[in-house]
Amino acid sequence: MAKLIRTIEVLFVIIIFSGALIGVSYFTVLPSPRQVSPINLNRLSLTTLEMLDSDYDLSRAAFETDNLTLWGGLQVALSASLPPNILYNLTVYDVNDNGGLLYSNVTSISNTDSLGAGSDASMYTVASSNVTFNVVPQKIGDNGNGGTLYILNCSDSNGWWITGYTAQSLAQDLYNMLSPYFVNTIMVQNTSQLAQILSGNSLQGENLQNAVVINTFGEAVPIPTAYCTAPYSNNGYSYYSYFLGQKVNAYNWTWCSIVGYPFYYVSNTVAFSSLQNNWGIYGMQMTGQSGSRAFFEGLDGQTYVNDATSVISDVGVVTFTTQANNFCNYYGIYPSSYQTSSRALTNSILQSYHLNIAFNIFNPVGTYNPGTIYNHVATGATNVTGSLLALGLTRTPDVRVTALSLLSYYQPRLYPSEYTAAGTSREVVLQLGLAGGT
Amino acid sequence: MKTGNATMDHLISLVIFIAALLIFIGLFSQSISTAIVYQSHEALSTKTSDLLDNILLNPGINATWGTDGSTPSGFGLQDPEFTQYQISSFSLMRLDSSTGSVTEYDKTSPSIYYNQAASSLGSFLLTPIVQDLNYSTALSLLGISNTYGFQLTFTPDITVSINQTQASSPLNLEISTSGKGFPFANAAINYCLILVTLPQSDMQYPSYTIQNGAVTTDQQGIVNVAFPNVTDSNQVYAFIAYAHLAGVEGVGYYTHCTSTDQYVVPIVQDIGSQQTALAHSYDLNNSNPAPSSLKYNVTFVISKTDYTLSQLSLDSSSSTNIVGIVTSGVGNPYPVITLPSYTTGILIITYQQEDSMQGGVIMMPWGVRSLAFPVTFGGNPAGQNWVTTDIRQVTIDGIAYQAKLELWNQGSQVIG
Repeated sequence: MAKLIRTIEVLFVIIIFSGALIGVSYFTVLPSPRQVSPINLNRLSLTTLEMLDSDYDLSRAAFETDNLTLWGGLQVALSASLPPNILYNLTVYDVNDNGGLLYSNVTSISNTDSLGAGSDASMYTVASSNVTFNVVPQKIGDNGNGGTLYILNCSDSNGWWITGYTAQSLAQDLYNMLSPYFVNTIMVQNTSQLAQILSGNSLQGENLQNAVVINTFGEAVPIPTAYCTAPYSNNGYSYYSYFLGQKVNAYNWTWCSIVGYPFYYVSNTVAFSSLQNNWGIYGMQMTGQSGSRAFFEGLDGQTYVNDATSVISDVGVVTFTTQANNFCNYYGIYPSSYQTSSRALTNSILQSYHLNIAFNIFNPVGTYNPGTIYNHVATGATNVTGSLLALGLTRTPDVRVTALSLLSYYQPRLYPSEYTAAGTSREVVLQLGLAGGT
Repeated sequence: MKTGNATMDHLISLVIFIAALLIFIGLFSQSISTAIVYQSHEALSTKTSDLLDNILLNPGINATWGTDGSTPSGFGLQDPEFTQYQISSFSLMRLDSSTGSVTEYDKTSPSIYYNQAASSLGSFLLTPIVQDLNYSTALSLLGISNTYGFQLTFTPDITVSINQTQASSPLNLEISTSGKGFPFANAAINYCLILVTLPQSDMQYPSYTIQNGAVTTDQQGIVNVAFPNVTDSNQVYAFIAYAHLAGVEGVGYYTHCTSTDQYVVPIVQDIGSQQTALAHSYDLNNSNPAPSSLKYNVTFVISKTDYTLSQLSLDSSSSTNIVGIVTSGVGNPYPVITLPSYTTGILIITYQQEDSMQGGVIMMPWGVRSLAFPVTFGGNPAGQNWVTTDIRQVTIDGIAYQAKLELWNQGSQVIG
């Protein structure tokens, strides 16, 4: 035997190899084609549930579990739409909110006792037809601080650079978009009412302080007849802009210029019935470039000086900031993120008039801000005393940008109804298996 | 001798060892190749599911390629106006059917070849091959050219079959409905019977009236409807039945014509402009000139939510129908109509041979959904080494379809 020791060793090796081969072969048997190339039962289940609910029949059935006709129809539809070798179990679960189990079984239908080990399922949430799911916005000013939105809707004024729209139509659009977010939303119907709030008297008992004023007239600003005289008419009515700046400071308003060059014209169709703005539009007077500077002077409490130095530049195509894009998604307002700005305000006003940038809607271009909310903070002070939203976009305005700007600045929260509240929704689970499965 | 014995031992053991080693390498390689094949097939299965979702959950680029006649730069079939698994009826219409036949109509030169997606006497859907999206383009757009092959099939979930069991007094029709695996029992059936009137005067054109009704199928998914007002066994008619239950809906149709040799064939000439030529059947595939001309009356109807048919005006006119005569043969022009909009509907053409009481009715679905045409697109899986399949339930304008994708490796094996 000692003479064949190497051969015997080789035989041992062969035995070991054979054992290993048997072991490997046992574990490496190719699974059945069904396991190798399975139908995606999860997706089939989901698409079947979506189809059954295409006319809300599934939703109705989930809440009418005693309706045998409805459930009979559902079972027939389910059986008819699935391939014959598919087994199913459709179960409806109720959502509990009183402790214990979160989901409780309501009813189920099935065409088999056992789905086998290879089943898969999808869950589908259905809502009761008796329930309306709402999103309730937080009210700006519901803490008692501000909360009034004034929308200038003056019937005795004309707009400029709102080509194709009327100020009144824009005002209505803004009302529809923004009124849910404010405690009070008031349409200022004429310049007399504007004069009333400028003099510090509320129109409907609303809180005048910390209000938002949207000027829907574009580059023109409505001017009450009482102010169509000196000193307000000085320097092409730029003193009126100065006066507005003072009031914005005094009441801590947020003044919104929705398009173009702010405070470039003043409008009153009665007082200026025979006067035009140098472009043939009657009821309007051109203030020019001094209007904006006068407003800032008034806002900053400076002495009025007629200064017609430009504060704007044409910067071309501008884009939303990342924050603005995020707020588009949050509030569901989707204006084009690409706009054209020909009246972007220069950064130099920040220092000259003690302004801070509170929110940039558009990305700055060099030293110019195409769309920005400015806060005025006086020297040595910490509190804001007046703000300006200046959207230096070219005509025609998209008021959704205005709405988005204000919402981005105030950031009211949205409170959606709880979708899993008891009695309002149910979960439908469709589990599918293959006939003959392991 | 001891040295000689030891040498022999070494030689024998070495030979046995090498032989055993080679045998076991071969045996182990079989297990390894089995595992590789398993991985390959599993990867193919995953790819099938991903690819099917990719096709069904995006409308393509541009999204309106199904209706504007353009060539997409991204392949997708989702209806651009909806979400989830809702498929565009018009994008499907632009697929180069792999089961249809090619029809030649040389009067529309230079584009003379049309894809006959599906047809039977009484219904046609012919689209221009030059505007159809072919299989190789789809492979390129999906980024799987030379890597995978596929066949995509859309089949209605519900089959609605209609048979005439009695021709007149009364006209009896049997409606049979069934799903993939179960009769469509107790389903509501809404039907429209289109009764065609063939005038005796040559100055008049064929016309039709619509009779609506609703019935319910029995436990076998079958129901019979009778029309006592049909007393002529040669009555020309079309019958459309909508079966619906719990969100699942199917469509079926049946036509009865007395002129089955000569008929009018609608041919979609241009998808983008919605122009449709009306051809004499004898002009197709270089047939001989027909013995007679055909008078026709064309209308376009849409199915309303209550399953009744409503006529829309044609050719931007206020008129809801267009009449004329189509004559076969060289030199005889063919009429062209413009469909009113990209609303799914049915073009109904009633026709009559001149100087004869023989006629019929032809329907063309505008969007495959209208008559629940099946669609098959792509290559042939027969003979492929390994084909994986995945399915989804989809709706095409409310009609329930099953979308099935069969995928196989093309060329070299692709793993992972």
